[in-house]
Amino acid sequence: MNFPDDLKYHREHTWVKVSGKKATIGITDYAQDALGDIVYIDLPEIDAEISKDAEFSEIESTKATSSVIAPVSGTIIEVNEDLEESPEIINEDPYGKGWIAVLELTDPSEIDDLLDAADYERYIEEEAK
Amino acid sequence: MRLLVLGAGPGGYVAALKAAQLGAEVIVVEDTEVGGTCLNRGCIPTKALVASAEAIHKAKKLKDFGVDVSGEITPNLSRIMERKNKVVSTQVKGIRSLFKSWGVTLIEGKGMLLTPGKVEIEKKDGSVEIVEADKIIIATGSKPAQIPIFPFDGEHILSSDDALNIKSIPKSLIIVGAGVIGCEFACIFRELGTEVTMVEMMPGAISTEDPEIARLLEKELKKKKIKLMTEVKVERVEGQHDGIHVGLAGGKELVAEKLLVSIGRSLNTEGIGLEAIGIKKGSRGEIEVNEHMETNIEGIYAIGDVTGGMLLAHVASKEGTVAAYNACGIEKKIDYSVVPAAIFTSPEIASVGLREDQASEKGIDYITGHFQFRALGKAHAMGEISGFVKVVADKETDRLLGVHIIGPHASDLIHEAAVAIKAGLKVRDIADTIHAHPTLSEGLMEAAEDVHGEAIHVPKPT
Ligand SMILES: Cc1cc2nc3c(=O)[nH]c(=O)nc-3n(C[C@H](O)[C@H](O)[C@H](O)COP(=O)(O)OP(=O)(O)OC[C@H]3O[C@@H](n4cnc5c(N)ncnc54)[C@H](O)[C@@H]3O)c2cc1C
Repeated sequence: MNFPDDLKYHREHTWVKVSGKKATIGITDYAQDALGDIVYIDLPEIDAEISKDAEFSEIESTKATSSVIAPVSGTIIEVNEDLEESPEIINEDPYGKGWIAVLELTDPSEIDDLLDAADYERYIEEEAK
Repeated sequence: MRLLVLGAGPGGYVAALKAAQLGAEVIVVEDTEVGGTCLNRGCIPTKALVASAEAIHKAKKLKDFGVDVSGEITPNLSRIMERKNKVVSTQVKGIRSLFKSWGVTLIEGKGMLLTPGKVEIEKKDGSVEIVEADKIIIATGSKPAQIPIFPFDGEHILSSDDALNIKSIPKSLIIVGAGVIGCEFACIFRELGTEVTMVEMMPGAISTEDPEIARLLEKELKKKKIKLMTEVKVERVEGQHDGIHVGLAGGKELVAEKLLVSIGRSLNTEGIGLEAIGIKKGSRGEIEVNEHMETNIEGIYAIGDVTGGMLLAHVASKEGTVAAYNACGIEKKIDYSVVPAAIFTSPEIASVGLREDQASEKGIDYITGHFQFRALGKAHAMGEISGFVKVVADKETDRLLGVHIIGPHASDLIHEAAVAIKAGLKVRDIADTIHAHPTLSEGLMEAAEDVHGEAIHVPKPT
């Protein structure tokens, strides 16, 4: 499993990539693997306010329906519309083409609460025990 | 005994046949066509359209099933309508021939009660006939309710009757009212390729259903790109050259080619002589009846939509049977304790018995069980994995109180639960019954097991 170093991770298995006041978010490789074949994602709407630790989207796989938890708070400024027709992109490329949304950060300091790649990897190993 | 039945919908025609079976001389008066709303403008034509919509849906997914098709998949509306009309006319003929076979006399015309034993019939050819009867069953049903500030015009502002006979597929459609009928039409038109926007005053769609079910339906509507606007009121409707403009409270405006109003039904209690003979009506204009389906006037019964109850065809039919027995001198009471109901959206929805809120209202300490169809092999084989079964049970006695299903074939699956509730069975009885594999029915078994935390195909709770 792959956890890029330039991302920050939330314990609910979402990632953030920060650039300035904007952040791109998605689900981790671990999450996509656990979900299995993704068949639908309920994308948030542009301008929607999302808050850290709360559900902002829902993903359906052939196995389960699962909420997606916001890693940070912000306003959605872009969503990955390709996922509407081809949600399986998330399985194929969770950190690249499978990004979910871009948001304008409400409070950039929230990033500090997130895990880095090594800590996240350790966290999921712990969880698996 | 001579019985006159006014209206030949699922209430009236069933009452007529039952009374004929019991030996009565039966005359049915019908203004439009036997089968009533249900057969001509309701249940059956909508389900014929649903079947066409499902065929389109499946055709678009043929590739997933390993079937290659060349060429485009396009709905042919005139053929869809022809098929629907054929389905309806076959059933109409069926009822007419049943009438013949049981010796029921059908008089085509509009009936009005003159006295408790006399009905005046204005026939299609303009002649008037007065028929005397010992007993009368009123089964005049209902029609689409309209919003006074923008009445139906049949062209751009449509009722459900009009929507069933459209001549072309609208590019865009606004549906006012996200109840059962509105949601069924939304799914049908969306599959035909129409852009659909629903406008609802309540906080959600199908607000009388279990909230978890309603929420999943809303998600499924969203998946289909059916837009649902809730807690909004339509204030203004205007026809302009580019379509129908709908002004919402708060200032927003929507534009579409057509508008479908599905806000409810208005009861056919006017112009049938109720006032003249003093039949009591309730606050919504519904005819008041007792548990024998008898009105305040002895020997006059009322059944179906006109009594303002559940507005379901099968309820009308059961009430018709009860009224027929009583009219024929055999005492029977209506029992509404188990009434399954189905909604033919995609996916389907069906329910029977109590919802959680109704169980709490009755002061019952209840417990629920859930099971997702996506955990069943059969659902995957069919390619229809959305939805779940929810069971509501009495925590103390383990009795099954209610079952709510959203998912493939929900309308057929519900009856196992209906029988179980009627028989007063326990959740354990369903869980302990072997269910054939692989079937969707395993969903109810596992949901029943889940009530006790014993379902097999669910991960260990964390
Ligand atoms: C679009 C739509 C979809 C529906 N889908 C379903 C469904 O899937 N399942 C379900 O259970 N229910 C469904 N319903 C509801 C169902 O159609 C009604 O509950 C049912 O038809 C009521 O039966 P009824 O006999 O009381 O009245 P109706 O079916 O309305 O029949 C009344 C009859 O009386 C006649 N009549 C009226 N006045 C007179 C008069 N003065 N003289 C002579 N005849 C008269 C009318 O012409 C009519 O034929 C649907 C309704 C609609 C509109």
